[in-house]
Amino acid sequence: MKNINHNNIIYTFLITALLIITASCKRDVEDLEPASFPTTAEIFIDGFSAGLSYAAFGGSDVTAFDTDTEVKYSGTTSMKFAIPDAGSPKGSYAGGVYFTEVGRDLSGYDALTFWVRASKAATIDIIGFGNDLGESNYQATIGGLAVNTNWKKVIIPIPDPSKLTEERGMLFYSEGPEEGKGYTFWIDEVKFEKLGTLAHTKPSILEGQDQVISTETGDNLTIGGKSASFNLPTGVDQRVAVAPSYFTFVSSNPSVATVSEKGIITVLAEGEAVITAKLADIDAVGSLKVVSSGQPIRPLTPAPTPEVPSEKVISMYSNAYTNVPIDTWNTRWEFSTAEDTELQIDGDDVRRYKQLNFVGIEFSSATIDASQMTHFHIDVWTPDPIDPPAAFKILLIDFGADGNFGGGDDTSHELSFTNPTIRSESWFSLDIPLSSFSGLRNRANMAQMVLSGDLPTVFIDNVYFHTDGEITVGPSAPIVAAPDPMQNTEDVISVFSDSYANVEGTDFNPDWGQATVVTQEAIAGNNTLVYSGLNYQGMQLASSQDVSMMTHLHIDYWTANSSALNTFLISSGPIETGYALSVPTGEWASVDIPLSDFSPVDLADLIQFKFDGNGDIYLDNIYFYNDSGMGTGTGGGTMPTVAAPDPTQDAGNVISVFSDAYSNVEGTDFNPDWGQATVVTQEAIAGNNTLVYSGLNYQGIQLGSSQNVSGMTHLHIDYWTANSDALNTFLISSGPVETAYALSVPAGEWASVDIPLSDFSPVDLADLIQFKFDGNGDIYLDNIYFYNDSGMGTGTGGGTMPTVAAPDPTQDAGNVISVFSDAYSNVEGTDFNPDWGQATVVTQEAIAGNNTLVYSGLNYQGMQLGSSQNVSGMTHLHIDYWTANSDALNTFLISSGPVETAYALTVPTSGWVSVDIPLSDFSPVDLADIIQFKFDGNGDIYLDNIYFHK
Amino acid sequence: MKNSKLILIQCSLLLAVLLVFPQCTDEAPSLDNRNYTLVWEDEFDGAAGQLPDATKWAFDIGTDWGNDQLEYDTDRAENVSLDGNGNLAIIARKESFAGSAFTSGRIKTQGLFDQAYGRFEARIKMPWGPGIWPAFWLLGADIDQVGWPQCGEIDIMEYRGQETNLIHGSIHGPGYSGGAAVTKSFGFPNNRFDKDFHIFAVEWTTEHIDFFVDETLYQRITPDATSGEWVYDHPFFIILNVAVGGNYVGFPTDQTPFPQTMLVDYVRVYQEVN
Repeated sequence: MKNINHNNIIYTFLITALLIITASCKRDVEDLEPASFPTTAEIFIDGFSAGLSYAAFGGSDVTAFDTDTEVKYSGTTSMKFAIPDAGSPKGSYAGGVYFTEVGRDLSGYDALTFWVRASKAATIDIIGFGNDLGESNYQATIGGLAVNTNWKKVIIPIPDPSKLTEERGMLFYSEGPEEGKGYTFWIDEVKFEKLGTLAHTKPSILEGQDQVISTETGDNLTIGGKSASFNLPTGVDQRVAVAPSYFTFVSSNPSVATVSEKGIITVLAEGEAVITAKLADIDAVGSLKVVSSGQPIRPLTPAPTPEVPSEKVISMYSNAYTNVPIDTWNTRWEFSTAEDTELQIDGDDVRRYKQLNFVGIEFSSATIDASQMTHFHIDVWTPDPIDPPAAFKILLIDFGADGNFGGGDDTSHELSFTNPTIRSESWFSLDIPLSSFSGLRNRANMAQMVLSGDLPTVFIDNVYFHTDGEITVGPSAPIVAAPDPMQNTEDVISVFSDSYANVEGTDFNPDWGQATVVTQEAIAGNNTLVYSGLNYQGMQLASSQDVSMMTHLHIDYWTANSSALNTFLISSGPIETGYALSVPTGEWASVDIPLSDFSPVDLADLIQFKFDGNGDIYLDNIYFYNDSGMGTGTGGGTMPTVAAPDPTQDAGNVISVFSDAYSNVEGTDFNPDWGQATVVTQEAIAGNNTLVYSGLNYQGIQLGSSQNVSGMTHLHIDYWTANSDALNTFLISSGPVETAYALSVPAGEWASVDIPLSDFSPVDLADLIQFKFDGNGDIYLDNIYFYNDSGMGTGTGGGTMPTVAAPDPTQDAGNVISVFSDAYSNVEGTDFNPDWGQATVVTQEAIAGNNTLVYSGLNYQGMQLGSSQNVSGMTHLHIDYWTANSDALNTFLISSGPVETAYALTVPTSGWVSVDIPLSDFSPVDLADIIQFKFDGNGDIYLDNIYFHK
Repeated sequence: MKNSKLILIQCSLLLAVLLVFPQCTDEAPSLDNRNYTLVWEDEFDGAAGQLPDATKWAFDIGTDWGNDQLEYDTDRAENVSLDGNGNLAIIARKESFAGSAFTSGRIKTQGLFDQAYGRFEARIKMPWGPGIWPAFWLLGADIDQVGWPQCGEIDIMEYRGQETNLIHGSIHGPGYSGGAAVTKSFGFPNNRFDKDFHIFAVEWTTEHIDFFVDETLYQRITPDATSGEWVYDHPFFIILNVAVGGNYVGFPTDQTPFPQTMLVDYVRVYQEVN
């Protein structure tokens, strides 16, 4: 984790590429004739070959690549790569991909060749082909390419040309500074060739070793170390790192272990299987002998089913009950050797610990109030001998009133059990009066449990607290009505409410096969929709509803016993998107869900609602509304009523295209005929001339003359829209070369962006000829100008540090696993400044009284969590961040392996920005085993409220 | 009786240029038919690991044959033996042996067979790697009486392991030996000599020596092409060897793969009959 390896770079890049490359045409596969792809060999001779595009890797210096007419091997032009110095604010390395939209048939060639020279002797980290911005199934790379000041020809053999019938990845590279110093290299005459002079292909897997691995049924293994060496015409071998899809993997015994096309082994049964591989019919050196001991030793029958009524139980682990959230079943505390897995016996989930010396089980994020409970229950099965003094021990820990470890109020007690209480190879149930845990003086904030003893293998099930008495429970139904809605009728499309006229004809109980019982009850005189025993439930609108002019969906709901509740909007298709509601409530809860959260549901064509989850749910006041008519501070109406803010840049630092504040480039055509549907007008808004795009599909601006803005640093645009949900702006240089930048919409008030011009790479800033906007909706634009921010205020409305605290989190603590926040109890023991060799300076500062994590001079920075966190029950990662000077910032989640995935944060910010990143965006990171965070990028970053939630 | 029909390649060869890729015209006249009779051969049939037939081949044992080669040539089966598939294998190894860092093999027909004129051919698959220098060549049988280069040398095939698509044919004689030899190269534009077997041959008459790769004549040397005495009028014997390093090929490098094997399918010698 200390070093950025290149797999990480690829992952990082995948995200960035989506940002950089927005204007890509999707082909309709069904319309295509059977593949006949161009066999074009040339990639770069004296310029980009037909169809070739470039995208820089995330975190890299996006300006590193350029063409050069001075230094070249032959012809007129070469490719130049300016590797940045270490710590360069433009990026820490250079790297990117040259790819085509339409694949090429390269099966007639046997190598990628080019000439290379450098400004000094250096070693290029990675260069190759087959990176297609997607799965890159046929990636082939050479590492550690030595270059010097003389031109030399480089040959990268194609591992198996017959695979490359539709390849899009033409060339990619990644190179960092040499001992901290940047330099330049050039390559030229880049093309695929049929050399015929490559020989003696020698593929290998597992670095050519014959390995043996002990496994159990159910294990998955990945074959690594895949490469091939090819003898070059010079008689020397060239090693190429080869993507798995080039290989054909074979299992000698598929009934024991199978192996996928990607080299993933799945162990199926007891026995032995040898996994080998071929590359183009040549046997690979190296093999993996999988020795499976079969099914783990395990109970033959499930644990006895608990019979305690569920209302008398707080269950931690049981199929018989709804379980409370547990942070982790294996905290992996230091010196613990326990490994845990979950498996099923006759459909019943049980948890197995192996190599158990002790294991921590933590539920401190949502502590358990067992104060009304009388017993602790656990079912245990072990295959191990239980002769005395062998013992099985249970330690229960309560964190006390402060809910946190330490603080002087923690209490705990450990009990030890021996033969004959414990038994071997049969389930035994421990049902222990909590009074026996005599040292456990408080039970209202139970937070940890430790299992230990002399049984190395233990299966557990039905872990719960219960009471043998009666417990006081809250009401199971609301006794008051849902709150009265306050929206103006004209701003509302209502589905279910006594306060509004509802959409007519809605079927509130369509037969979708559900088990839910639907009734309508008067609660305090107010008609309420009741779902009893929810599994899922639909609502069929009588007719398709267009709610695209609305901004929010409002729902009032009440439940005492639900632990999961989602609401879905459904448009034709069907296209549906869910939104998780916090449960249980115990009182009426109101949510106002931004309709943008339901993307990609078509808001102009809503046909159904759906709810799923569990428990008994009371619903009321289900309606859509538009908040623009109210004093919410987000402005309002369909057009701005105030002028765009006055620009603050010095006229001397500005090249203006459209602004009353500056003299504009002359002769610009604001409505060139590019076939667009957009209606273009100019209107005075509060006396200020404003450019208006009505019904935008796309729209160009033809500059009166080519503009050289290479001396400028930013593009400024003020924009306003109430109804757009997609808006991009493009700069275009001759060629044309164009790059898009996505603007956040809708704004509902004037929004100002200051876009670093480097974001428009590879557009030639010395030769700008056009602007383009695309997207939808009605757009008001003003103050479109370029400026140079050097030597003056940034105009982004801020200093170098925040003056206000990050916004207060609004998530329920019970739905949160927090890493850094004053609002929640955080994962304990996290190291916010582990030594991974970074240059970043880490401090914690009080910003308006709120503790804030500060990264100064970020290059990269890790966080080592105090213990592995299972966040698989969470849906989002929340981060608040603030930066005035960063132009690159990524956050990474890291699970054991390490497996890490990056997410790019939009920077710089003009104030605190909150992001809620779907955890699915971090795939393939193992959400059940998060061990670290990482940030990389540059600038000074203020962070707060880093937590997972659902 | 072998009946060789050979095509004379008439190209505008640039004589001063070392390397020529023959590009031939359709009108190339055919070489005169010649009738040859096989007079000596070794097909190298036999069990794997067996030494070459001692009635046909003798070993040169030792190191440094005048070219600063690095290997020690032995008479061990590890270096020279049949491969069991009808080939002779001469194997260069990276191993310390008798003060040398490499071993290899060098066998000859000296004292067992020699002949003036006719066709000498061998079918060979090359080793590879920088510093590897295999050869199939002839030396004048009177070397012990008149010395080298007076005895004459005909290099039917020499090859550098770092130029896997090139072979070289040369003659060395008095006044034109070593770097001054009469030589020409033959190259494949899209192939190399270590992927498959190829036939290397000379056809030697009183008027000329013709050099062939497979069925391509790429060099004819006549007496007027030499600056010195034409000494190709007496019997020559055959040598097969794989050198490691030396002033012709340069040093092997860390990147030279070892062991390296030259496989010889057969050696055949013919005399012309009328």
